[in-house]
Amino acid sequence: MRLVIERGELLRALGHVTSVVERRTTIPILSNVLLRAGNGKLSLKATDLEREVIEDVAATVSAPGAVTVPAHMLHDIVRKLPDGAEIEIKRDPEKERLTITAGQSRFALQTLGPEDFPDIAAGDLAHSFELGAADLKRLIEKTRFAISTEETRYYLNGIFLHVAEKGSSRTLRAVATDGHRLAQVELSRPEGAEGMPGVIIPRKTVHELHRLIEASSAPVKIGVSPSKVRFEIGTVTLTSKLIDGTFPDYGRVIPQGNDKELTVSNADFIGAVDRVSTIASERGRAVKLNITGDKLVLSVNNPEGGSATEEIGVGYTASPLEIGFNARYLLDIASQLEGDEAHFLLADPGSPTMIRDGGDDTALYVLMPMRV
Amino acid sequence: MSMPCNAADAAPANVRRIIHVDMDAFYASVEQRDDPKLRGKPVAVGGSKLRGVVAAASYEARRFGVRSAMPSVTAKRNCPELIFVKPRFEVYKSVSQQIREIFSEYTDAVEPLSLDEAYLDVTDLRGAASATEIAEAIRARIKAETGLTASAGVSYNKFLAKIASDYRKPDGLFVITPRMGPGFVEALPVGKFHGVGPATAQRMHKLGLETGLDIKAQSLEFLQQHFGKAGGYYYSISRGVCERQVKPHRIRKSLGAERTFFTDLTTFASAHEALQEVIDKVWRHCEQASIRGRTLTLKVKYADFQQITRSRTGDAPISTRSELERLSCALLTPIFPLAKAIRLLGVSLSSFGLSADGDGEAEQLALLL
Repeated sequence: MRLVIERGELLRALGHVTSVVERRTTIPILSNVLLRAGNGKLSLKATDLEREVIEDVAATVSAPGAVTVPAHMLHDIVRKLPDGAEIEIKRDPEKERLTITAGQSRFALQTLGPEDFPDIAAGDLAHSFELGAADLKRLIEKTRFAISTEETRYYLNGIFLHVAEKGSSRTLRAVATDGHRLAQVELSRPEGAEGMPGVIIPRKTVHELHRLIEASSAPVKIGVSPSKVRFEIGTVTLTSKLIDGTFPDYGRVIPQGNDKELTVSNADFIGAVDRVSTIASERGRAVKLNITGDKLVLSVNNPEGGSATEEIGVGYTASPLEIGFNARYLLDIASQLEGDEAHFLLADPGSPTMIRDGGDDTALYVLMPMRV
Repeated sequence: MSMPCNAADAAPANVRRIIHVDMDAFYASVEQRDDPKLRGKPVAVGGSKLRGVVAAASYEARRFGVRSAMPSVTAKRNCPELIFVKPRFEVYKSVSQQIREIFSEYTDAVEPLSLDEAYLDVTDLRGAASATEIAEAIRARIKAETGLTASAGVSYNKFLAKIASDYRKPDGLFVITPRMGPGFVEALPVGKFHGVGPATAQRMHKLGLETGLDIKAQSLEFLQQHFGKAGGYYYSISRGVCERQVKPHRIRKSLGAERTFFTDLTTFASAHEALQEVIDKVWRHCEQASIRGRTLTLKVKYADFQQITRSRTGDAPISTRSELERLSCALLTPIFPLAKAIRLLGVSLSSFGLSADGDGEAEQLALLL
């Protein structure tokens, strides 16, 4: 195996693939990246057994072949080489080393055989469709904050992506919940998604995917089977196992009859919650909302820290209500809203509250109060 | 202006009036009250089984050397006539509620220490002539309303009030005035000091400290050197000084339950099953007290009495029994396979949140998923 490759191209690809490589792993080959040269390109692949990322980069290949080397070390080497360098990568079959040469620098890395490198056999991904990068980004960004980190409720440790009905139209919907709050966002169902199974995409895959599409605007090709999902983003392919579990019937917790509507300037609201919660202790971050007439009084009382109140003008005509929420949860949701106004649909201090975005009716949030 | 000067009540304005009320052999007395057959007999409340312990002993049983926290087997050996009665905590709780209501008529500053004892700060008398009068009135009302006897101690701080309540037990009252205080403490054997258990008493004896006077003769440095932080406390109380306030709202820091098993557990299945009862109990307490904790601690005591704890703290309080069970099992699983059998399992919850009002615990409610 022998090839020459441009430093910048290789660095970018290594940046994409090595982020799935665990820093500490008990299986040595999982620390490595698989390099496969042939047909005028170098293909890089990394995995943590739950997901894998493959990226192809153009290269001048003079002898095809494959090898694995420590991923983070290779990444560090390439990162430290000078900008614009031409890198020669060569496998010395006798010494079982991979030599990397650029200018006057020369590195020899320990290798492991490519035949032992694990492969996530994706099998048949029967359902496939395309989403714009911006749409996919929106589905992720508006829901991922609500993903549970509770390992015992593993089926909540991801985003539930599925086809839903909204009135007469069909949508592709993303939902995440940690049992205290829920985020739901949808877009019209893309061609090819009909009949796809509802899938739970693991949190780490969600974050990898977001990194990969962050700087991209190209459409993303998505393939789904009941156990795997694949995202093709230009020259990068992310394949992931899905969470094997049943996402709960979340529709039951989305309130339908909440008739107390509170309309508030989102910027004012975020500022006020942020200010009064300064007083809250690290853990007991309850903020009390007292809503009467056209004013909302937010207050926090921490016996060890003091107290704070702030009043803001709101639109509210229903009967007065006092309700408590976790300040961080309020801020998490409010910071997702795009419109100038946040709409709270409330029932009582012990029932779920719905929050809608004045500037986006495809997203909704549900938040359980704190009993204060 | 003439003032009575025979009691703590004669003190200057800045002196407090504290009463310590302690029910006499509480659980056992309740059982004797409710079952005439038990009256006049040695009674122990607690498990009679191989590994049970005595939770409370009647005065008849105490004469045979039966003490609370004593293994039931030892108690039975000391007193073969001993009658074991299963505890009825619901009854004790309701009696406890009755006596707390009586206290509340005399002062708002009531600090319950357990179901059967409490400190009362009655400094502002509320029209009564003295703290002693209040203590007598409380004892009489407890007897009239519950049929049980209580002992009371009256003094100018918590430490001495507690010592005093023990002084004429059962069914007695004792007053330690500011003038008597220092002399009283000097004569007191160190083992009687509140906060000095058998182990500390032993260490004090080794240092030649037998009475309050012996402690008083030591420097603060000496006491701190030998007893650490507690040294400062001993220094103060040996002078009859105790500044601790009666705290009406003692903030509960944790809540839990545990069980010692009749036979040691060796398998995951048996431990898992045994844990259910403990979890039930903890959850019942949570419901009754309407509190939810974020930190879950599993306690495991092995057959050789080695004890380990495993805990986890979540971002939000544990809000359902099934969540409590799931998380408890998650803590239990990694300790298997066992190197030695399990004697005891306990589950406790702590890290109760603070509410927006700050006087209770704010509970994050869960979506009914």
